[in-house]
Amino acid sequence: MARIDITDLVKVYDSGDESIVAVEDLDLGVKDGEFLVLVGPSGCGKSTTLRCIAGLEDVTEGSIHFGDREVTDLRGSERDVAMVFQNYALYPHMTVRQNIGFGLKLSSSLPSAEIAERVESVAEMLGITPLLDDKPKELSGGQQQRVALGRAIVREPAVFLMDEPLSNLDAKLRAEMRTELQELQHDLDVTTVYVTHDQTEAMAMGDRIAVMNDGILQQVGPPEDVYRSPANEFVATFIGSPSINLLTAEVDGTTLSGPAGFTYELSNPEPVEGRSRVRVGVRPEDITLVKGGSNRATVSVVEPMGNENFCYMELGEHELTARIDPTLRPQAGEEVAFAFDESALYLFDVDTGEALKTKTDAVAAGIGTEAR
Amino acid sequence: MREQRRKDAVWKFLTYSFILVMTVAMMVPLYWMIVAATLPQEEFIQFPPRLYPGTHFFENFAVLHAETEFVVSIWNSVFIAVVYTVLSVLLCSMAGFAFAKYEFRFKEPIFYLILATLVLPIQLLVIPLFLMMSQIGWMDTFRAIILPWLANPIGIFLMRQNMRSIPDALLESARMDGATEFQIFYRIALPAMRSSLAALAIILFLFQWDLFLYPLVILESSANYTIPVALSGLEESRRINYDQIMVASSLAIIPLAILFLVLQKQFVSGILAGSLKE
Repeated sequence: MARIDITDLVKVYDSGDESIVAVEDLDLGVKDGEFLVLVGPSGCGKSTTLRCIAGLEDVTEGSIHFGDREVTDLRGSERDVAMVFQNYALYPHMTVRQNIGFGLKLSSSLPSAEIAERVESVAEMLGITPLLDDKPKELSGGQQQRVALGRAIVREPAVFLMDEPLSNLDAKLRAEMRTELQELQHDLDVTTVYVTHDQTEAMAMGDRIAVMNDGILQQVGPPEDVYRSPANEFVATFIGSPSINLLTAEVDGTTLSGPAGFTYELSNPEPVEGRSRVRVGVRPEDITLVKGGSNRATVSVVEPMGNENFCYMELGEHELTARIDPTLRPQAGEEVAFAFDESALYLFDVDTGEALKTKTDAVAAGIGTEAR
Repeated sequence: MREQRRKDAVWKFLTYSFILVMTVAMMVPLYWMIVAATLPQEEFIQFPPRLYPGTHFFENFAVLHAETEFVVSIWNSVFIAVVYTVLSVLLCSMAGFAFAKYEFRFKEPIFYLILATLVLPIQLLVIPLFLMMSQIGWMDTFRAIILPWLANPIGIFLMRQNMRSIPDALLESARMDGATEFQIFYRIALPAMRSSLAALAIILFLFQWDLFLYPLVILESSANYTIPVALSGLEESRRINYDQIMVASSLAIIPLAILFLVLQKQFVSGILAGSLKE
């Protein structure tokens, strides 16, 4: 077990005459036993960061510490980390037993009886004991996934690194493995860095999530904080599904006026003081359809989800999404009025995207909800 | 529907007929070699030729054995080809692995330089190699036959192409598991390449087995002759001993047949490797 401290990490790939900055000035700390999810669109530097932690990539600048030990220049095998790869990377010519035991056999001085025992107990923990003598190609995707996990667990490393380990599984199995992985991490209490491009996965699994874009860390925090108080427009857009609604509005005193006759009266104009334009954001679940109102949009599609409906509307050139009650079924082409509370409103700087105001509505503490 | 099926049947018939004809065309010389090995020299040259085996094989063999050291030559050939194949497979797969999976300066130029050596015919290399071997006193030795051809460009090319299909994650995974670079090569990469290695082994074995001009120049004593060199010795200036050549040739294909039978399964899947997505 260990905490991870990443300080001023820079990773530049030189390919001949052009160089690509994959990670820029990254500062990130992962607490002992924490499950941290690195999330971002593809090419944002999250996998590169993970590979730097793993020791598979040399860092260009900066340092990485595990606890008090500096590991920046150590080989991956000397860092006491185990990694689960996206495509599992099981050794095709070895049985499950040999796959799981390979690392111990090479890097530890344990007697082979002890190794066998540990392989057995890990297999039992993962429910793959009957598969121990099979080759990887005889296993299903979910089983291969378990073997890959087993290979990481058996070494009892200080740090687990996981690079999109669930992305090759089908939706149902992915949801199952998500829960299982969380329970496992909780039981083993090993510091874990988990990379994914799937914001749902990040929200569901992480103790904290770190959002990256273009090689730059945007925000780190508990999932709910990142969702409710995004640091900037990118984080607000990336986290949440369906995505947040955004439009540009002119500021006139306390009034925001947007495209297609959209207007909104602010009771607290403080965040927009001194600004002429601002980006306005509203989460789909905060939009309600109302009987009468000045803000009107045209319904384009309604997607029934069973427990709710996604209502896509057109506001001039803009598309708006609202999550509405399943009993409401507006027809395509119908004009509807919508409204939202000021407490649910997000405001961002037009140029920098920096957040000026985020959600301020109260979160009720009660059964199943953690008080903040 | 029925029309189409008839068309298919005709095509199938034509295809199989063609394959049959080609097979027969290739088998006839082989068959004739074996038949001729069982005939006395007089019957060999008579017309029309005798098309079924005779009973003279052991007599022919006895003459061959008495007049030459052909059995020794078979052992020489087997020894040289086996040692060469083992060493060259190791060297070519190591080079192929490096070219496929490591980054180093001038990687591409070096690789293309190696490929470029393919255009040099053996005939061109024989004289410089002869001079070199005589200067370092390696004339009439097996190592002089084996060493110059160890780094085989075709072998390196073949292994590089195949090694590229090994996913990087597999090697990285082994690296994280604490494997050294050499362990990654022989415990992960090589086992994943089994069928390609078998194909390469056959190609290299055949290359060395068929080598004629170079051993002819280097090997001086008949006790060191390889099969092709020994066979050429059976062609005397005024008379060609067809009976003995045929016996010798028949014997010479036995080791090849054994090698191919052993590696057959891997060889076929090696040729097909990469043609189907698994």
